[in-house]
Amino acid sequence: MSATVDAPAILKKNYLTALKEAIDEEMLRNPDMICQGEDIGLLGGAFGVTDGLQAKYGNKRVVDMPISEAAIIGSAVGMALNGKTVMAEMQFIDFISCGFDQIVNMMATYHYRTAGEVNMPVVVRGPAGAYGGGALYHSQMNEAWFCNSPGLKVVCPSTPYDAKGLLKASLRDGNPVIFFEIKELYRRRELEEELPSEDYIVPLGKAAIRREGTDVTFVSYGQNVYHCLAAADELAKQGVHAEVIDIRTLVPLDEETIYNSIAKTNRVIVVNEAPMTCGFAGEIVARITTNAFDLLDAPPVRITRLDTPVPWVKPLELYVLPSVEKLVNAALQTVRY
Amino acid sequence: MSNKSATATAEKAEPDQQPVVSRPSDLLTKEERFEMWMQLYLARYFDVRLIKEKKRGRLRGTLYSSHNQEAIIVGSLFGLKPTDWISPIHRDMPAFFMKDIRSGWENNDRIGMSVEEVCAQVWGKVDSPGRARDNWSHIGSRSKRIIHSTSMLAGTIPVAAGVAYADRLNGGDSVVITYNGEGSTAQGIFHEAINYAAVHKLPVVTIVENNQWAYGTPVELECPTPDVADRAKGFGIPGLVADGQDVFDVYDKVMQAVNHARSGSGPSIVECKTFRAYGHGDHDDDRAARYRPEDEVVQGRGRDPIAVCRQRLLELGDIGSDFAEKWVAEGKSASEATNEDFPEKVVEYLNKGIDFAVASALPPAEEGGMWVFYEGGSK
Repeated sequence: MSATVDAPAILKKNYLTALKEAIDEEMLRNPDMICQGEDIGLLGGAFGVTDGLQAKYGNKRVVDMPISEAAIIGSAVGMALNGKTVMAEMQFIDFISCGFDQIVNMMATYHYRTAGEVNMPVVVRGPAGAYGGGALYHSQMNEAWFCNSPGLKVVCPSTPYDAKGLLKASLRDGNPVIFFEIKELYRRRELEEELPSEDYIVPLGKAAIRREGTDVTFVSYGQNVYHCLAAADELAKQGVHAEVIDIRTLVPLDEETIYNSIAKTNRVIVVNEAPMTCGFAGEIVARITTNAFDLLDAPPVRITRLDTPVPWVKPLELYVLPSVEKLVNAALQTVRY
Repeated sequence: MSNKSATATAEKAEPDQQPVVSRPSDLLTKEERFEMWMQLYLARYFDVRLIKEKKRGRLRGTLYSSHNQEAIIVGSLFGLKPTDWISPIHRDMPAFFMKDIRSGWENNDRIGMSVEEVCAQVWGKVDSPGRARDNWSHIGSRSKRIIHSTSMLAGTIPVAAGVAYADRLNGGDSVVITYNGEGSTAQGIFHEAINYAAVHKLPVVTIVENNQWAYGTPVELECPTPDVADRAKGFGIPGLVADGQDVFDVYDKVMQAVNHARSGSGPSIVECKTFRAYGHGDHDDDRAARYRPEDEVVQGRGRDPIAVCRQRLLELGDIGSDFAEKWVAEGKSASEATNEDFPEKVVEYLNKGIDFAVASALPPAEEGGMWVFYEGGSK
């Protein structure tokens, strides 16, 4: 199928549309699937990810829930126990903390504590991430909490193609998945791309190499992938060729792709939006130093948010977050080590 | 909304029904009432034996006695359909093997756990339904329709609501019974879950075993209303109060709530007033004697559910006076009670369970690392 001159603009989809298609197609494919969340039915979701789904599938399968994150997740656990697949939306991923107990103590442990009798096909998804002036409670990346809770898979797509493919894979996985969507990418025009018309998934646990390079490896996920790519452009002008790896899923983590890259570049910078202390970048660096120490010519570097909340107004927000400038400087120091 | 429908139900119910005389328990047969009495002995004997076994150092973990609260377990389970779901907590250990026990104590096809399985769990053995991965009451079974309990107390109520929602979506008519202490009604999730269940009129019956003490905290520091059941008012659902020492009153109130739920009218709260016989757990027995006034304990244990039931059976003429002195387990603590205080059938039944548990193996060590993730893929 080659794009014609007349049609391409119509076929290109943004990140948000890709997510909506994933949910719609899975609802159609799996009559035992239910969607629930705050304002997802009548309104179609605060951002419109579920727009039109209640009209299509009815208010029993696309459920407007009370403002009760713990009940949204806890009832999803019960539905899964009784044979359903559930997509549970958090209006902002920041609010997931209100349902934390149900995730880490009830859902994440279910398969383990029942010795495999019960599995939990539940995807808890929601808009995440900073750089949009969302301030303390509409900007979080709290993925590390869930990476530290055995039994959960953790996913964070950065492109429309991945958003759709990873969400479909998550909804079919059979394990509870915490799915971090980057709201700043929802409608970003330059990311729009043609999506396959046929059914496809992107398997969990497989990283993507977004740019090849020989001198330093950036490892990241979500929005910071684009900061890494921009930094790589900058660095190329100075003769430094950076490779950019998008891990796409944190749990399970594709370590092999990371080590293969470091075998080539011998230098690594790991980037995430979350605070540094006990963040996922630290986990990646720990694994690299344990498993790929001999490949390194310089100490691994973490570029993360400062150990602060995400402040509101732009100068404050940008001050605490990873930036292209911070990445370029770190890369130059690393290659000169 | 819910006020409207409650009115509608009442209006509909009155005209075409016979005068409201009959309580659900009035329809029980003599044999059924006797069976409930036997089940009270079974629940009590389970507790007595476990306390003895623990004192002899044979059990690991903490023991949460259901002594003096057996009428709640028996009375609430007795009228359920085999296909109904239950969600017990730590003090309801006998409920796991007494679910659907009406289908026959020895019936292996009943939709409830066997006493062997439950004993294997208590002993921490591989034949436990959860292969001894979590302790005490933290078992469950999808196929037996028992929601797996955790330490999060009211944290299983939303799970129960989700089970009910899925059942309704499938066109089922199951009811889900959850068990809670009065203390866990102070948890946020208790309110979120019942609010959700009430909004969707889900068939969830929340039993509150108000035994007056949440670990070391008295009920008046957990709940500000005169009855814990008053919490139902905020959700526009029925809040019933039962005498937790009287198995027939528990049966009546729970069946009222179950019928309400099964007919599509939504959830209820049934508070069963009782008293915790011992400490919170066996580790707490000595300290409980200090934080609870002795006269309160004596009074709280003064109406043993076994004796209350016997009295009723005598009054009804179900049993003769020859039963008045037979099996006098009431009022006796575990150390005072002997096998002669219990029907032989009960002792034999439990012995089989314990023998099975003792003979069962520990799980292989490497199972500690297994089943973190499901490997099978889904629909």
